Amino acid sequence: MARREAREEAAFLRGDVGVDGQATDREERDEAEVERGKAREQLIRNRAWLGREFLTWLLWRSEAGEPLVELEGTGVTVLFISKLLLRGVQGDVVEVAARGAQAPYSAQVKHALDEGLLVHQARLRFSHGERAYEATLDAEFLDVRSAKLPELLTEEEDDRLQERLHLVEQLSAVVDALAGDFLEVRAGRGWAKKTVPALKAWMRG
Amino acid sequence: MPLLAGTVTFARFQAELPKTASTDTRRWLSRALKQGAFQPLDPAAGAEDRSAGFVELEDHDSTTFAAGAGLEGEYALFGWRVDQIKIPAPQLKAELGRWLAKFEQEHGRKATRGEKAHAKDAIRGMLRQRTPPTSKVHDVSLSWKTGAVQVWAASRGVVDEISEAIESAFEASLSPRNLAGLAGAAGLEGKSLAPTGALLGVELSGAEVDRGEA
Repeated sequence: MARREAREEAAFLRGDVGVDGQATDREERDEAEVERGKAREQLIRNRAWLGREFLTWLLWRSEAGEPLVELEGTGVTVLFISKLLLRGVQGDVVEVAARGAQAPYSAQVKHALDEGLLVHQARLRFSHGERAYEATLDAEFLDVRSAKLPELLTEEEDDRLQERLHLVEQLSAVVDALAGDFLEVRAGRGWAKKTVPALKAWMRG
Repeated sequence: MPLLAGTVTFARFQAELPKTASTDTRRWLSRALKQGAFQPLDPAAGAEDRSAGFVELEDHDSTTFAAGAGLEGEYALFGWRVDQIKIPAPQLKAELGRWLAKFEQEHGRKATRGEKAHAKDAIRGMLRQRTPPTSKVHDVSLSWKTGAVQVWAASRGVVDEISEAIESAFEASLSPRNLAGLAGAAGLEGKSLAPTGALLGVELSGAEVDRGEA
């Protein structure tokens, strides 16, 4: 008897039952609200918003097909290819995956960007002189995934290892150069006044 | 070895290395790798189910790290080996089921919760000795000249584990080469890099941003 009373009291203290001993209506958070909460955490963690703004800015800048930065005296051009993952923190949609050869520069993607979904992950092709690299980049870590390096020129195994390491460093340097260029613009006075309005105008076609 | 062929996946860090990295590279590298060297699991001895540490890139069973081993020009190349004993759950369940049936037959009653838990531990210990560990090696390249570090792994958990091990063994300080890390290195901090509300479609409060970054 005493154990039953203790159990009932504990349930009451936990808020599982009311004074009448009946189960209370659990206050359940709206599923969409929970989802948006997680999306906000993802955006803030490791300042991922900077990475998303960078990849979105890069998508805009790359559309013209012109070299975006110079590395070791040679221009670097960027092309977004096939796959794109967009993420946002408001509205009903928090993630959109776009696939297709023309998908990254499509009107649908631009519309989604205008709605506040920014590029979180993308497959890109970097051309630096005669060398072409392909890699998937993510906004939070800027890790390089599934990268294809240019064909090796050397045949000796030791030399091939050195050459691959050099190519990996070059790919890293390309990413850093583009990120550095973005950060310069991002921290400058023109970001809010000029760049963001121009980006929004591009999104709206 | 992903360093040698195929597509490549790697996490990027920038390391601040101690002076000895450039003045006495061979000894510094050898000492650091030995300090964090891989120790094989001994199923018979301890209760550890996982072991991780540095191994030589060319021979994943070797942790000799002779002076100069793993040095390729300006790069130090080594592996991070993770051995793990994973007892398949269905196997454990089947063994326990057999034990319970035998117990009931012998004692004429069902095993108590305590007896069942005790038997489960004993069965897990027995299976543990029979199960060979699975082994994975992730390559690491570190430029002792520039401090660029590449961890050739896709799993973020493994990447974090390796970066912590490098910091500890190499007396180095690693920062990720992501936008936040690059901004920090360029001395760009503070409000100028706050989230752009016009792009995100929502304004985030400074307190929320600070909380998320902490």
